Amino acid sequence: MGQDSFTPQKRNTSSTLPTVATNGSMYSTGRVVPRGRKIHKTFNNIKITVLCGFVTILVLRGTIGVGNFGSSEADTVNQNIIEETNRILAEIRSDSDPTDPNEPPEPDLNPNVTYTLGPKIENWDISRKTWLESNSEFPNHVNGKPRILLLTGSPPNPCDNPIGDHYLLKAVKNKIDYCRIHGIEIVYNMAHLDKELAGYWAKLPMIRRLMLSHPEVEWIWWMDSDALFTDMVFEIPLSKYGNHNLVIHGYPDLLFDQKSWIALNTGSFLFRNCQWSLDLLDAWAPMGPKGPIRDEAGKILTANLKGRPAFEADDQSALIYLLISQKNEWMDKVFVENSYYLHGYWAGLVDRYEEMLEKYHPGLGDERWPFVTHFVGCKPCGSYGDYPVERCLRSMERAFNFADNQVLKLYGFSHRGLLSPKIRRIRNETITPLQYVDQFDVRHHHVSSKPQS
Amino acid sequence: MIMERCIGAHRWHRIQRALRHGKVTVICLLLTVVVLRGTIGAGKFGTPEQDFVNIRDQIVHKIAEHRRVLEEIQPQQQQQAKTTSDSADSSGSSSTSNSNSYMEFHINSILKDEDPEEKSDPNKPYSIGPKISNWDEQRSLWLKANPQFPNFIGPEKPRVLIVTGSSPKPCENPVGDHYLLKSVKNKIDYCRLHGIEIFYNMALLDAEMAGFWAKLPLIRKLLLSHPEVEFLWWMDSDAMFTDMAFEVPWERYKDSNFVMHGWNEMVYGEKNWIGLNTGSFLLRNCQWSLDILDVWAPMGPKGKIREDAGKILTRELKGRPVFEADDQSAMVYLLATQRDRWGSKVYLENAYYLHGYWGILVDRYEEMMENYRPGFGDHRWPLVTHFVGCKPCGKFGDYPVERCLKQMDRAFNFGDNQILQMYGFTHKSLASRQVKRVRNETSSPLQVKDELGLLHPAFKAVKLSSL
Repeated sequence: MGQDSFTPQKRNTSSTLPTVATNGSMYSTGRVVPRGRKIHKTFNNIKITVLCGFVTILVLRGTIGVGNFGSSEADTVNQNIIEETNRILAEIRSDSDPTDPNEPPEPDLNPNVTYTLGPKIENWDISRKTWLESNSEFPNHVNGKPRILLLTGSPPNPCDNPIGDHYLLKAVKNKIDYCRIHGIEIVYNMAHLDKELAGYWAKLPMIRRLMLSHPEVEWIWWMDSDALFTDMVFEIPLSKYGNHNLVIHGYPDLLFDQKSWIALNTGSFLFRNCQWSLDLLDAWAPMGPKGPIRDEAGKILTANLKGRPAFEADDQSALIYLLISQKNEWMDKVFVENSYYLHGYWAGLVDRYEEMLEKYHPGLGDERWPFVTHFVGCKPCGSYGDYPVERCLRSMERAFNFADNQVLKLYGFSHRGLLSPKIRRIRNETITPLQYVDQFDVRHHHVSSKPQS
Repeated sequence: MIMERCIGAHRWHRIQRALRHGKVTVICLLLTVVVLRGTIGAGKFGTPEQDFVNIRDQIVHKIAEHRRVLEEIQPQQQQQAKTTSDSADSSGSSSTSNSNSYMEFHINSILKDEDPEEKSDPNKPYSIGPKISNWDEQRSLWLKANPQFPNFIGPEKPRVLIVTGSSPKPCENPVGDHYLLKSVKNKIDYCRLHGIEIFYNMALLDAEMAGFWAKLPLIRKLLLSHPEVEFLWWMDSDAMFTDMAFEVPWERYKDSNFVMHGWNEMVYGEKNWIGLNTGSFLLRNCQWSLDILDVWAPMGPKGKIREDAGKILTRELKGRPVFEADDQSAMVYLLATQRDRWGSKVYLENAYYLHGYWGILVDRYEEMMENYRPGFGDHRWPLVTHFVGCKPCGKFGDYPVERCLKQMDRAFNFGDNQILQMYGFTHKSLASRQVKRVRNETSSPLQVKDELGLLHPAFKAVKLSSL
């Protein structure tokens, strides 16, 4: 446009819309500009420059979002998201639960009334036998073996530390593997059926409930979440226990002579599904209800059992005390097993895995190749254990891999070291894989030794 | 000058002024519009495509925020934990390695690889395993020689192995392992009721096929090592059973070898990348399956092959974003391009939720509990609720953390209620971990039947001749 070639003064004046008074200057190109007018013009220039600069920044901010000055909105959003996620994770990991305001509060336990697991059942053996006869498609023996149900579990909320959940997961995989190989069903309990019997006592109501709901189950096998199978071939010799109803690992001399609080271990035991077991559970439960009952019971147990520290009553001490004090009533049906590691205390076993690999083979179940390695005292789901954390977790990792190698053998793999999560091939791929299936599948070994029915 | 003559100098100058004013007005108007468009958004003035791109970029930006958040949480929590444990640990020993506290523990301090890594020959083309051509024959001979391991455990019921898994290392997300644990409990419950075996994998069989491709070598290995298994059921770790009473209609698939949830029109017609879902599928143990695994695998090896394959898939499939090749897109592509070879034995099931996308199901659980009952398996009561995109184990998910985790809790409780009702309990609400009694204890427990009949269901009954 031709008009733009005029002096800058003209351009500036044309953009300041409100003030039209300076239009006269467009004709006076040659005239000397008075000082006042100069200042006025400079002022106008500055105003316009500032205005244009402001507009530019606005446009830039709107489209690009300039460095530190822009995106403050995005920053606050980011901060909100972080806080929100923090809150969610904390909520998930806490014990808090959204409570229903309409629900009446649970009535307090009357300390004068003896706690019971449920209404007394008198004729369970007969009822069960009748049921089995009329439900032949749910027999209590499958493939020549009595039907076993493995019960284990963990609390419903996340562990105090994430590594605890990771080892719970590995432990359940370990149990899934053993039970798949040996045809055992698993119930993984994550519910507190009875608020009174929370903690280690929670197994009692669950065992009772499962017995009564599953008459086809012959044996209920409780196993702690911190116990790992380390012999994938060994099978419990149930034929040995034809006349017994409770199979538990322990030492009779520790039990009756020394009255030690660790004479038996309730981390891994079997209960036959029968009236006797229901009666024992009923006799066992009264020390369990939390609060004053459990505390008082704890004092009695500490006073009567050797080596027991002072703390509230636990199920193991209570059972030992029960069996000692009512020996004649119960002990004839209890098998205190120590010829194999139905429960194997980890500290004496985990360092010997390499030695075992060298000298022995799976299937022994005893100190040469332990059936179960039980990590008592490690408590990976809590914040603190009774042992150094690194030792515990290193040992758990070794035990897990030691067992996993036995499972992976069928597939031709093995861990790259007992502390390694990675695997390596130990057998080349082949186009006739079934020869190895016959050789390495654990189930086939047992079938060949099964008596022909 | 001509105009000046016509109209008159004064008027002409006035017109010129007006024109200049007009120009300035227009320029300012334009600037205002541009500024407004930049800050508020265009409405109908910008092009729809640009706006869509804008909005999508914003969402990605938001997702990137979510992704960063979890990463930042970890060190924050560790720092917090460190400070609390330092102040609380008065009786502990001085060095960290002897500490009894789990709060300061780092897994890498104990993990150690002893044997050297296998070096794969870069010049050799990838192969999932040596080619087997007579698997059907080998397998049927084996089954005849091993009658104590039949491939059918009931008149219409094949022996099924559910395969799932997760990484052998702890999750990056602090609650990830807890959700994996709940997910596996959920699978244990379903499988116990339905007489199905479980294989939980925590090993990477083939370093080339890492990530979502890891299932292929695993599936092949399991098929070949378990000839007694008739159907292998792969299930992702983020999929949960929400219908405990639904039994898969096995007789429907007697002429099929591969059952996936999907729609024929979307796979063969549209070549839509989500026309089927490989998060939950059934694969028969036979030669056909080994062949399809051989043809499926080549897009998997990580690195250049997977990247390039990803580009092909994005180009060929509808709606697929740009990323490396994944097993699901590869299967869509495979079926769409080789339908005559494979299509007759592939059953794309959509009559029930063999895979149910969680987004459209989780808000309706209460409605389902009110109107329907377990056993339908479909939109009324989904068999599987699959939390695609949530990735609770990793740091990065495609959805907000709160929605994913809370909904996973609800889905878990929804399924768990069906298990607990067998024993007379239920969760206090779908969000609550606590349970309450709904059936009183009785002194004659065998008279009581559970409502859903899951304690002794027909699909669990033992074949009488196998006793």
